[in-house]
Amino acid sequence: MSRLAEGGLIDRTKPLRFSFDGRHYTGFAGDTLASALIANGIRLVGRSFKYHRPRGILSAGSEEPNALVTLRKGDRAEPDSRATTIELFDGLAATSQNRWPSLDFDMMAVNQIAAPLFVAGFYYKTFMWPAKFWEKLYEPLIRRAAGLGALSTLPDPDSYDREHGFCDLLVIGGGPAGLAAALTAGRAGARVILVDEDRIFGGRLLGERYEVDGVAGVDWTNAAVAELASLANVRLLLRTTVFGIYDGREYGAIERVADHLPQPAPGQPRQRFWKIIARRAILASGAIERPLVFGGNDRPGVMLASAVSTYVNRYAAAPGRRAVVFTASDSGWTTAADLMTADIQVAAVIDSRPDGGVSASRLPHDVETFSGAVVVDAHGAPLRGVDIRAADGRIRRIEADLLAMAGGWTPAIGLGANLGSRPVWSESIQGFLIDVAPPGLQPAGAAAGTFSLGAALADGVAKAVSALADLGFAVSAPGRYEASDEPSGVTPLWHVGGSRTKAFVDFQHDVTDTDIALAAREGFVSIEHLKRYTTLGMATDQGKTSQLNGHALLAAATGKSIAEAGTVLSRPPYGPVAIGAFAGHHRGAGFRPERRTPAHDWAASQGASFIEAGLWKRARWFARPGERDWQETVNREVTTTRGTAGICDVSTLGKIEIEGPDAALLLDRLYINTISTLPVGRVRYGVMLREDGLVMDDGTVTRLAEDRFFLTTTTANAATVMQHIDHARQVIWPELDVQAVSVSEQWASFSVAGPEARRLAQRLLPDFDLANSAFPFMAAVETVWQTLPARLFRVSYSGELAYEIAVRADHGEVLARALHTVGQEFGATLYGIEALGVMRIEKGHPGGGELNGQTTAADLGMGRMMSRKKDFIGQVMAARPGLTAPDRPCLVGLRPVDPRQRLCAGAHLLPGGAAAVAANDQGHVTSAAFSPTLGHSIALALLAHGAERHGERIVVHDPVRGPDIEAEICSPVFVDPEGIRVHG
Amino acid sequence: MAEALTIRTRSGFGLATITARKGVAAGAIGQALGLVAPAGPVWTAAEGVMLLGTGPGVWLAHAETVSPFWGDGLRQRLAGLAAVSDQSGACVVLRLSGAGARIALRRGASIDLDPAAFRPDAVVVTAIAHIGVTFWQVDAVPTYDIAVPRSFIGSFHHWLDVTAAAIRLPVPASGEA
Repeated sequence: MSRLAEGGLIDRTKPLRFSFDGRHYTGFAGDTLASALIANGIRLVGRSFKYHRPRGILSAGSEEPNALVTLRKGDRAEPDSRATTIELFDGLAATSQNRWPSLDFDMMAVNQIAAPLFVAGFYYKTFMWPAKFWEKLYEPLIRRAAGLGALSTLPDPDSYDREHGFCDLLVIGGGPAGLAAALTAGRAGARVILVDEDRIFGGRLLGERYEVDGVAGVDWTNAAVAELASLANVRLLLRTTVFGIYDGREYGAIERVADHLPQPAPGQPRQRFWKIIARRAILASGAIERPLVFGGNDRPGVMLASAVSTYVNRYAAAPGRRAVVFTASDSGWTTAADLMTADIQVAAVIDSRPDGGVSASRLPHDVETFSGAVVVDAHGAPLRGVDIRAADGRIRRIEADLLAMAGGWTPAIGLGANLGSRPVWSESIQGFLIDVAPPGLQPAGAAAGTFSLGAALADGVAKAVSALADLGFAVSAPGRYEASDEPSGVTPLWHVGGSRTKAFVDFQHDVTDTDIALAAREGFVSIEHLKRYTTLGMATDQGKTSQLNGHALLAAATGKSIAEAGTVLSRPPYGPVAIGAFAGHHRGAGFRPERRTPAHDWAASQGASFIEAGLWKRARWFARPGERDWQETVNREVTTTRGTAGICDVSTLGKIEIEGPDAALLLDRLYINTISTLPVGRVRYGVMLREDGLVMDDGTVTRLAEDRFFLTTTTANAATVMQHIDHARQVIWPELDVQAVSVSEQWASFSVAGPEARRLAQRLLPDFDLANSAFPFMAAVETVWQTLPARLFRVSYSGELAYEIAVRADHGEVLARALHTVGQEFGATLYGIEALGVMRIEKGHPGGGELNGQTTAADLGMGRMMSRKKDFIGQVMAARPGLTAPDRPCLVGLRPVDPRQRLCAGAHLLPGGAAAVAANDQGHVTSAAFSPTLGHSIALALLAHGAERHGERIVVHDPVRGPDIEAEICSPVFVDPEGIRVHG
Repeated sequence: MAEALTIRTRSGFGLATITARKGVAAGAIGQALGLVAPAGPVWTAAEGVMLLGTGPGVWLAHAETVSPFWGDGLRQRLAGLAAVSDQSGACVVLRLSGAGARIALRRGASIDLDPAAFRPDAVVVTAIAHIGVTFWQVDAVPTYDIAVPRSFIGSFHHWLDVTAAAIRLPVPASGEA
């Protein structure tokens, strides 16, 4: 065990059992998986991406590139989880990944021998021949050998929630600067949201031993958090990561609601996706310590110095027994002191700065210290010792099982670049800082390059005061916090020369110092090219520990300064986000909202099968016991409707009311035909064009009063037509006094069609005269059914005598039941949209296949409907030469010469004997169906010169579904061309 | 403890869209209905009719209990002043009440429902779970009425069930589920 006897923010009264690679261990509440592994002496945690090198734990935070494990099992298995951020819970099971057969003995480590082959961009240069091997052999092999964890292919059993936050000030990061900012704003009465990704607030104060206001940093944190929690205007969000900044001062965040539990409670979401709108924001995300680039710097046992301090101070876990500290900054010496306080032997402190020895006074005299020295190579896996090169050039080996490296601090400003502003180099902090921050955001504390504790606290207060002043909040007495201003000097050491072993820059993607030098030699000298060629910073950690070292090495290789070389832009997400969190409950059947007609449930009880029509679920057919297949059902529905009567739910049609003194004028401009002459109580079929002259939609217009009209649209185009009408009346002709409103949801409509339709409808409306003389074809009336307002229309899509009756949607099911009950007396059938489609094809009515956004009114045989006496939308463009060309495909009917053969929609039309090539294509089948009325297959098609070719034969070429079929071109109206039935 | 949230489906109400004729001011419409027609996203009420501002020159009239021909009566009262379309059957109106109601709607809609920003007479036209909805605050409990297009009510309940389950979970005193 490597657990220290005392100290740490762990609850030793709450032991937690967990397993790693099947072996069982114990940790404590408050541990992360990483700290618990360290406390149990586990040092080898994973294998690297490309070379399968043994890896341990580098950091103690979300920047971790090495210690990636698969958390949980089965459907909750989550690969590539960072052990450093996984909160320990009882029963936790984690496994290592990217190794075979075991973590200790990984056969794929043979890749290291072939390392010269796997340099930067190797896949662009090797495995090039033979080319056909790439897809089938090389790529699968490479993908298998290189990688991280494997996704569970099982459905995610958890749910994901969504939340919106609004505040005056969003504080990102609950370390000293963030807490100081939140306290300042909270006390001033501003609405504050304070977010931190950890399970408790405090940031660096949790892992260090500094004091604030004379008390331990942790105690100061607790008091600050208690005060914030007492303020009703402050919202505290723990376990929450702000992952992106977007336009409009929007911040995306993920709250890990139940990830710290064995599994969510019933009904509890696993994670919650937040959209936060913040008038002002403070980025107090701190800084990330940089590794040093020397040979073997990736070996298990080599850690960031700050992580070593955190494990010792916060988790009471000793990452080693005999440590060497390798530092380029003053903070490394603090780690040495922390180790000694915890009675861990410090074999040596190696400071690369010539004057680094000045900090030696902070340590006892028996610790060996070196100034102007470097570690050139680390040995052993886990670490056994390091070779150092002293200031005088001599190499010396020091035995150690822990190397703490302190390369200086990089402000964690990734979020600040999300809106496209590239960070700029600061000579004073030797790091990049935000140049132009996203609107309303200011960095504070270490994120602003203010590294010492006292200065960070003061900066948090100052930035909050500034933001509050912008918002008009008065801050009478901003807080002042006494804290040590510890030394925070650094002289960056970007690279240690003379190493004999691999020196890694990007640990997770196995990018080495030589890869960067190679990329520069090969001309990839732009920072963005370097990133993509070497994949530096493109792993799941987004290069949080590697970017700056990589950029410095590129600068050196190209003879530029780091400022000239620049840095890359960070895009959201700041850390990995589960795709389920974005989807929320919108998955499976709830992937998108579903629309159901008022009689949906009743239709289901009548045996309806449903099909999606946009968001709508529409009854497709109503199968009866004994029917062998859908075709038999549809044939029965068509035959019964044409022979007796049928009832169909048409509630999904778009419905719009147009009202006002100029309503008729607007409708004349919207439709190709004249509407203003329509008498009250009558219906007219109308066609609308788009501005480009092509058909947009068709439907009916009913005049309910002189200044009030009721329009129907196709189901698919309901919203588009509504937008079109609003655009016309609000933008094109705002001078018109006309109002429009969608009433699609208000009315449930049913079509009653067939020879018995009148008698059936009459039973429903016994007091209303439905005789032809009183209520002829295309008549309409507002009436009453069972004390409810109702509307009756004499319209037909099927070509039969038909009525559409509509009532308020909340009474739709009652009407459906009533129609069905009465209908049964007449032998009527319920029919779905498949039968509806068959009957409209039999009647040659255009539907979705014909109203396809490419056809003109003339193409559809409605050229004569286009009025020449008025102006209407699309009129001018419809006269374009291309849209009036005589050879445009136009609507025809097709019937197979051999009636046993079946026509299919989508098939192409070729002249007899012509080769099946595009040049010979004369059109295509737009809709096809088996006509039970005629006893054979029929189709509608768009065919060049079609109107003049009735009686001609043509080849229907369908290479996907069957052999060529010979068909006869005919009128698109197959049934009752004289329209006798519809007027019956 | 869990946040209180009660959900009730309302019935018997009247709902109608009122769109002002060109050049007709809100004042004239309010006068015809015996109230002050709101000029923004708030509601006013008098004589059993609530008028919710849903857009420039557009209101939703709402009444607790009405006859089936309520819309026709409204049209007559506003003849020459506004277009009226009965929408009483178009929407399902749910009443959400309790502290959890604010949380539920905030989780669904990107709308600031803090009492300082969303007052007890506020109205909003927005989207929840990709479904266009209109909701308004009824009292300071808080209680909200939300009008959901009838065809979408199944999908809306799917969202509400999932959201309410999380809100009704017992949670630590420091936060919301």
